[in-house]
Amino acid sequence: MSLEQIMVVMMFATFILLLFSGFPVAWVLGGTAVLFAVVGHVMVENFGADLWFSWGSSMQLVPERLWDLVGKETLVALPMFIFMGIMLDRSGVAEELMKNIVKLFGGIRGGYAVTVVFIGVLLAASTGIIGASVVLLGMLSLPVMMQSNYNKSLAVGTACSVGTLGILIPPSIMLVLMADRLANPNASVGDLFMGALFPGFLLVFLYVGYIMVYAWVKPNAAPVPDNVEKITLKIVFNAVKAIIPTAFLILAVLGSIFFGIATPTEASGVGAAGALLLAVINQRLNMEVLRESLFQTTKTSAFIFAIFVGATAFSVVLRGLGGDTVIEEALLGLNMPPMGVLAVVLFAVFLLGFFLDWVEITLIILPLVAPIMESLGFDLVWFAILFAVCLQTSFLTPPVGFALFYIKGVCPPEIKVTDIYKGVAPFILLQLVALLIILMWPPIVTWLPSVAY
Amino acid sequence: KVRWKMPVAFKSSLPGLGSPSVFAAEQLEQASGGAMKVKVFEPNKLVPPFEILSVVSEGKVKAGYTWIGYDQGKIPSIPLFAAIPFGLKPWAYMSWYYEGGGHDMLQEVYANKGYKVHAELCGIIGPETAGWYKKPLESLDDYNGLKIRFAGIGGKVIQKLGASVTMMPGGELFQALEKGTIDATEFSLPQIDQLLGFNKIVKYNLFPGWHQPFTASYMLINKGEYDGLGDDTKALIRNVCTAATVKGLTTSEYNQGAIIAGFGEKGVTAQKLPRDILVKLKSLTEEVLAEESAKDADFKRVYESQQAFQNNYKLWEGFAYLPSDL
Amino acid sequence: MKNKIEPSVSHIPDNSHHLDIKTTRPSYRLDCLMDHVGRFFSWFWLITMAVILVSVIARYVFGQGSILLEEMTWHFYGVTWLVGLSYALVHDDHVRVDLFHERFSCRTRLWVELFGILFLMLPFIGIVLYDSIPYFMDSFGNAERSPAPDGLPARWLPKMFIVIAFVFLAIVALSRLLKCTSGLFGLPKSIDKPMGRF
Ligand code: NA
Ligand code: NA
Repeated sequence: MSLEQIMVVMMFATFILLLFSGFPVAWVLGGTAVLFAVVGHVMVENFGADLWFSWGSSMQLVPERLWDLVGKETLVALPMFIFMGIMLDRSGVAEELMKNIVKLFGGIRGGYAVTVVFIGVLLAASTGIIGASVVLLGMLSLPVMMQSNYNKSLAVGTACSVGTLGILIPPSIMLVLMADRLANPNASVGDLFMGALFPGFLLVFLYVGYIMVYAWVKPNAAPVPDNVEKITLKIVFNAVKAIIPTAFLILAVLGSIFFGIATPTEASGVGAAGALLLAVINQRLNMEVLRESLFQTTKTSAFIFAIFVGATAFSVVLRGLGGDTVIEEALLGLNMPPMGVLAVVLFAVFLLGFFLDWVEITLIILPLVAPIMESLGFDLVWFAILFAVCLQTSFLTPPVGFALFYIKGVCPPEIKVTDIYKGVAPFILLQLVALLIILMWPPIVTWLPSVAY
Repeated sequence: KVRWKMPVAFKSSLPGLGSPSVFAAEQLEQASGGAMKVKVFEPNKLVPPFEILSVVSEGKVKAGYTWIGYDQGKIPSIPLFAAIPFGLKPWAYMSWYYEGGGHDMLQEVYANKGYKVHAELCGIIGPETAGWYKKPLESLDDYNGLKIRFAGIGGKVIQKLGASVTMMPGGELFQALEKGTIDATEFSLPQIDQLLGFNKIVKYNLFPGWHQPFTASYMLINKGEYDGLGDDTKALIRNVCTAATVKGLTTSEYNQGAIIAGFGEKGVTAQKLPRDILVKLKSLTEEVLAEESAKDADFKRVYESQQAFQNNYKLWEGFAYLPSDL
Repeated sequence: MKNKIEPSVSHIPDNSHHLDIKTTRPSYRLDCLMDHVGRFFSWFWLITMAVILVSVIARYVFGQGSILLEEMTWHFYGVTWLVGLSYALVHDDHVRVDLFHERFSCRTRLWVELFGILFLMLPFIGIVLYDSIPYFMDSFGNAERSPAPDGLPARWLPKMFIVIAFVFLAIVALSRLLKCTSGLFGLPKSIDKPMGRF
């Protein structure tokens, strides 16, 4: 092993190890960067080590790179989508949806679960983050499903997994961040949004199919409630009425991007304003709600940006130690056909997803592997979406799975952690199935961006 | 033994604009027999493009390669060394830079603002296109209300014509153009613009590139580092950069004709701006340049030096060169 | 039925990862101050949103694009998340991997926190702060403005917030450090004030 390889491996290992101490991820990243910058510096200056490393061209570049983050117009979408999600949470739109749509699907086996998927998709297409969706879906649907004697795992697994669709189905802060890190005109935010649409629907299709089959094979798992209301015109009318506000938001965000009224960045601002308007219309907005939503936006944005800050230092030191060369040589040295290298990368992302969340993986790993994928001749949008589907599983894989944390907070007491794990397992498998389909049939990603332009 | 990490402002794959950086790095290593090693870092890998001056000056990295016009927010006179509307042709600019005191003036301009860098002209390309538009430009009134991306001093000129001028990074232009966020854009040479895909959306490519007849790139070297080098190494850098400048020019001149020849099958129309429009643009440019001269002493000095040379050069050019339509 | 849904977005709803430690007199003062600063800057999100709306409307209704507005958008955004870093730290909202952390005893967690702040966080903050001051001074000294012809003047102003953000971070980190030493060694003395509410 060369000295560079040892340093790179050590740096990753130290990071993962320190992570488990439970100290905040952002500062573990920053601290590890400092530590290895010092080690590199001492090795070069005091021991004449054969490393192309200097303090100046690594740690000292952090202010310049921070300024670049400040000036990132595309990332304005992050806090805007976050504010939008929080406002939507507060506007009562989701409750209305649940109340009315469940009457449409309530009469079929697994009807509640299907309703959750349906609402989850609407929320996913109108927000860019998952926290709100998971918590809302969990709070609104779990008590009802428990009452109807649904299988606990099915109930919690559905709510939890469907909630994560928000990060794949555009708009999505994850896709915004990925486009930023890819920094390639052929994989703009708009391209990724368009590219993610059908894979998102594919997942929805798989989810619904799984629920229907499961409910059909095991009737006790998702029984039809006794007191089913007949579907009347009024119920249909109410359901449509409940969908209108969400449809309005989806139109405001995705529509304004699609019809060229706004860039994805501007669309995020339009969407945030739209969600605010909905809260006003539903008479949910007062000074207290507004204040708390703004404060929450700051905190949520800040914890993501803090990881940015830490990862900026981490990756510049890693690169200073020759990290990108080491990883490139390791991947290309596998002597595999391009598809093999791709599979290795995706599998590594899937594994990393157990311990890291999407922000760190996107910030540190994506810029390291994307140029290699491009040089192997893969379509970057396609690769990015494969990467994104892999990352989506990271929300569901223990021990570090954000969707799991969120749902744990709103579960009725009879649902145990093991129920949650058992519940999401089939959905993780479904996501891997989706990944395989996208791998074997690229047009599902590449077709829409190609005709949208 | 010299080991430099060199961040660059453009992808090294962009012909003429980015490629001389890699050429220079390779030549330095080969010609020095491996005593000099320069590792090129693609944009943003180490430093964001706009920060190259800052990090080189502070000595955080020893060298960088960039279009120095990006620093016009810090050094008002710097665009005169990077691209000037109705400025010199590339070889004439080289002539002013090498023979007319341009090189020394550039060092002074940096020193006057407190930047500790040594700059070496290390790449130049021919005219950019005057942009990509949805429909042909009939008169200057068409600029009124036009949403356009236009960089540098040229942007200030068409701003005077009522255009809404924005500056977006190259990577966002295609999307913005397609979605109608902007109506028109300029970026670089036809070949480079084509790599960014503008021709897929807007079909009218305007010429000549009055706003940027030449585009110059420089290797910036930390002053302390440069002063500490031996004369042999300094000579090597100077020679390699001169070679890279020629190489950039030849790359850019070699390829564009073939690209324009291929416009037909791509459905692109190349349009030449009528003379009367160019005359008006020129007078507006002179207004803008006069305004800038009044604001900054270095700007005035450099601009006057270039003007003096340009006036003489015009005589030579007018007599000596064949008309291009012959 | 208003506000039935608590703000639950994007941080782990149960507080198992939070440190249930008592604050100290200086910590409380510092936290209070930084909390107010964070709240004040939170309103900038609303301004960011408004600027985006104005810019979209100006372009599509009046056909006037404006770099000035585009730059204002990210100036507000950048300044707000920079200041937000310390605000999130006051509320202990930074993401942790709590796989083992939640099984640690209270004392072990305090030791982790103490070591983390001393050997990971403060060195990082200190070094970035040290290097960001000359970076800001260069911009300030040359009265840096936007390179875009129609852009904002005073580009050094948002750059100054990199320095400010790290000063704020250092303040909150020190406040947390005091809480840790208080919990571990009783120095300084702890006081009875609720955490996270000021
Ligand atoms: Na979404
Ligand atoms: Na995970």
